[in-house]
Amino acid sequence: MKKILLMGNPNVGKSAFFNRLTGANVIESNYPGTTVDYTKGYMKGDSEDFEIIDVPGTFSLEPKDKAEEVAVKMLEEERGALVICVIDASKIERGLYLCLEIMERGYPVVLVLNMWDVAEDKNMQIDVEKLKSVLNIPVVPTIAISGKGLKEVVLSIEKAASVGVNEIMGKVGGIK
Amino acid sequence: MEKKLSEMNYEEEGRVKSIEQDLKNKVAGMGIRVGKNLKMITKHPLKGPMVVEVDGSHTSLALSVAGRIIMEVKR
Repeated sequence: MKKILLMGNPNVGKSAFFNRLTGANVIESNYPGTTVDYTKGYMKGDSEDFEIIDVPGTFSLEPKDKAEEVAVKMLEEERGALVICVIDASKIERGLYLCLEIMERGYPVVLVLNMWDVAEDKNMQIDVEKLKSVLNIPVVPTIAISGKGLKEVVLSIEKAASVGVNEIMGKVGGIK
Repeated sequence: MEKKLSEMNYEEEGRVKSIEQDLKNKVAGMGIRVGKNLKMITKHPLKGPMVVEVDGSHTSLALSVAGRIIMEVKR
């Protein structure tokens, strides 16, 4: 069964998202050797079933504490997994930082701009089409607590592919 | 005027001027990088962590980390 990792900064709605995707069929388990939990569940896709893992929130892939260590370790152990990178649409920059780090390691990524309603309330305008064309991955605005956008996320899982970071750098004109 | 982030006063705002090289990647994940505007929200006693606002969200930093970030503040 194909594995999907839900990753993102702490407090962006990964778990709300997880519960939405997996429904009631949720198993909880302890990760050996640490105090940090991760959650595993299953989801029916269009043509196949997926195992979804709710990874602890992390700001970057250079771990600063135990929870982040778990997150990074899980990512490294699941080389064949697809990553749904959940970010807070109202705090897009630091979310994208993590997302790019994950892409840099060669994982196929679907970018989820969660808390879209919060960003709208703050009068933020996010050009989803431009993000899509620059990053070359599926980008989906969602509101996990109400379920908006979830269907699009599931549908875009098949379209996720790993993208070379150099390709993105070329499009944005490199690092200044 | 230039000062360390750890020396900023309550409600004071400034722009990040420089960050020690080995710290750059560590704080980038929190949205702190050169050129960002930060606002000091609060600091905790006994050399505890300080809280700054970046991009409309609060994040906390150890005082020792904040001491290695140089800010450009107005006035």
